Amino acid sequence: MRVVGQELPRVEIFEKVTGQSVFGADVSPGGQVLHGKMVLSPHAHARITAVRTERAEGLPGVRAVVTAADVPAVRYGKFVRDEEYFASTKVRYVGDRIAAVAAVDEETAEEAARLIEVDYEVLPAVTSGLEAMEPDAPLIHDSYADYWTQPSVEDRRGNVCNHKQLLRGDVEAGFAEADRIFEHRFHAPMVHQTYIEPHTALARFDASGRATVWVPTQAQFPLRDAIAEILDMPMTKVRVIPTEIGGGFGGKISPTVEPAAVALARKARGPVRIVMGRGEDFQTTNPRHPFHLRYKTGVKLDGTITAREIEVVLGTGYSSGSGVMISQGAAVRAPGPYRIPNLKIDSYCVYTNTPTCGAYRGPAGPQLAFASESQIDIIARELDIDPLEIRLRNAMEDGDETPAGLPLKDVHVRETVRKAAEAMDAAPRAEGANIGRGMAAAHWLVGGMASSAGVKLNEDGTFAILTGLVDLSGASTSLAQIAAEVLGVSLDDVHVRTADTDFAPHSTISAGSQALKSMGGAVLLAARDVKRQIQQVASDKLEADPGDLELGEHKVFVKGSPERSVSLREVGRSALEHERGPIVSTQSVSRLIPHPAVAAHAAEVEVDPETGHVRILRYVAVQDVGTAVNPLSVRGQIQGGVMQGLGQALSEACTFTDGKMDNPNLLDYKIFSALDAPPVEVHLIQHPCATGPLGAKGVGEPPIIPPPAVIANAVHDAVGVRIHELPVTPEKIVRALQARRAERQP
Amino acid sequence: MAGERIAITVTVNGEDYREEVPATRSLLDFLRDDLALTGTKEGCGEGECGACSVILDGRLVDACLVFAAEADGRRVETIEGLADGGDLHPLQRAFAATGAAQCGYCTPGMLMACKALLDGNPSPTHDEAAQGIAGNLCRCTGYGTIIQAVMDAAEES
Repeated sequence: MRVVGQELPRVEIFEKVTGQSVFGADVSPGGQVLHGKMVLSPHAHARITAVRTERAEGLPGVRAVVTAADVPAVRYGKFVRDEEYFASTKVRYVGDRIAAVAAVDEETAEEAARLIEVDYEVLPAVTSGLEAMEPDAPLIHDSYADYWTQPSVEDRRGNVCNHKQLLRGDVEAGFAEADRIFEHRFHAPMVHQTYIEPHTALARFDASGRATVWVPTQAQFPLRDAIAEILDMPMTKVRVIPTEIGGGFGGKISPTVEPAAVALARKARGPVRIVMGRGEDFQTTNPRHPFHLRYKTGVKLDGTITAREIEVVLGTGYSSGSGVMISQGAAVRAPGPYRIPNLKIDSYCVYTNTPTCGAYRGPAGPQLAFASESQIDIIARELDIDPLEIRLRNAMEDGDETPAGLPLKDVHVRETVRKAAEAMDAAPRAEGANIGRGMAAAHWLVGGMASSAGVKLNEDGTFAILTGLVDLSGASTSLAQIAAEVLGVSLDDVHVRTADTDFAPHSTISAGSQALKSMGGAVLLAARDVKRQIQQVASDKLEADPGDLELGEHKVFVKGSPERSVSLREVGRSALEHERGPIVSTQSVSRLIPHPAVAAHAAEVEVDPETGHVRILRYVAVQDVGTAVNPLSVRGQIQGGVMQGLGQALSEACTFTDGKMDNPNLLDYKIFSALDAPPVEVHLIQHPCATGPLGAKGVGEPPIIPPPAVIANAVHDAVGVRIHELPVTPEKIVRALQARRAERQP
Repeated sequence: MAGERIAITVTVNGEDYREEVPATRSLLDFLRDDLALTGTKEGCGEGECGACSVILDGRLVDACLVFAAEADGRRVETIEGLADGGDLHPLQRAFAATGAAQCGYCTPGMLMACKALLDGNPSPTHDEAAQGIAGNLCRCTGYGTIIQAVMDAAEES
């Protein structure tokens, strides 16, 4: 291929490196923009007995105050309708929305927010999913039984808002067949996406009753629908205009401040901008679910896994959000990329008095892999089998099924895992004491969502792609590469920018590694149709059969006689006079078939037994990516995903005291800086995938999944202690080493 | 809230601006709101992320932690002044070529940090480059391509 597979700079890169890109807070709608500010609950669980807004409303410069009384009494939620936008009778976490204010400047808005008085009757709170399942735990949704749910929601009881069970084979028979049975518990805490651009929205409400919202979102169409649902407006009275987005990682899908901005703009009769502070962003958005995990695994002495019984308890926060979907997906992926004949998986989605968790990159992946791959490592050591061998022995293959019964194709677990081991073994182990190596493998199932895209030929012979796909990590460039490949032009001749909900055909969201698969499929169909139209118009000019015409170098030419040609510019112009008219095509895709995408990582670490400090000496990431449409983007996404995963492995955790987050700032919530970041050696496994556009697989999620397990396994190899709770902090390592010493000297 | 206002003259990217600002206005808000130079970003407002990095009289600072009034009589360099007319700075070209900008939100501050680094140390080692951007958080790239871009730009200049 000519354009696909090339390492090309991103189409919007020069705007980005010159500061011209317009992000959420950079939008200027003209006229005075009011400053909006949210008023949030300071309590994790409390009844609201009174809300008084008079003093705030009386403050000079305040233009609007909105509370539950100003929005329709709508209870919303995709799986369980358990959320109200402004709390009316009860707050369920520190950060629950009470009110919002709009004022002429930031200081006045802040003062007005302070003047809103709320009387609370404080209730006992619970922040751990396991504790929330106890019979005497405080009930977070008193009338949960009356809520509407989707039919897929099962077995709700008390704070448990979904229980998914998957059974394959006969798990008891599988354990009876095993030579050894291993059982372990693991815990992975809540972690936050920590995109560098905080949540923000700018809303305008015009005289005809239409709302326009400028917002950095990964999901403009669902966000439009959510704003309309929450404010009980007709869907097409809401226009969402996606700005450039300063990182999302799954944190910018669900509505946050947008409905408040619209409600304020309507009441104040002027545009309102809300920008979250970093602390508010940490405490009121959609982080990764904390997981409690129990893995019980039966194995033969040769390492063959005969059965696995897995229990997953996911703390969803004060509402179900995407927790139901993620707990269902967790059940499917919990066994890891292995063929296991007998399975019993129970996955519980449980309310807690914390922020509602969302779909942080690779939802459920790092937590599950930490547990599953730590245990595989433990088993390999106990049975004295090489960590690579035990994974190869159990690896899933083409024709195997997921625990939910979906048959899998394009599975490359063995090759990916082997390559990771080979790349790590390519250099000798560093010399010295307390050096260790570890590996882990994981898979993601790349789905797809309904998408449509247009491609048109401009009258100067260039092309434009019409799409509503938000560009998070290079999708626009990859779409343009696919179109350029089909149409025989270079990347510079294909223009692509994201259009809004009013003007773009329906688009998938930019999440779940499926954006390029879904939208790329639509662009591929549209480009192929445009090519057919070009051949048809050119065939009259060239007096040749359309099937004998080829595209290349901005021309259409007769196969075998390149001198008989017509330029795309001429085709673009003459199409206007031709019976077929302007050349444009819009195509759609839907019901895409999921494919697995595999990642296998390996690390070499050095652990200081005195301080517990872990230094990563080498890190290898191998990924099964199908056709890499743009290897520069693919490698970049993998390196970035690894670094987020290493943060979860070593330093990141949202911790709570009495329901309040202890560390809602970038000093105490520690993401990796350049000084923490090891070089990441990336290897791509490229076999074209039958269900991806031009063979491409999803890329974004897999690299964030293995790192916590890789590090835990390498630390064990280095100093012989096993950490069962993330993150693997120096303190935990030192305590484990002390405990081991105490055990050895009774 | 009406407070004391202060008249200041600040040179931003070679142009002089005379403005009256509240005493508590940050340099970041001054650049973004008063001068409409929105290339400089706010990520935390607490000096922890580096998204608002600008160069003040040759030194890298977080514009959110500096009062606009403190910039009176001084020179400020921002992302908008990095390219020389139509010619991109070698760092900008290197960022594009290595894929050092993904979402692009940390990029303006990151580029200013890289410029301050190269201004003081035209041929840094890998570790010196990492040290030079240690105060600028990026959540997309994992930093490897950014350090590569610094090395490439250093070689080019």
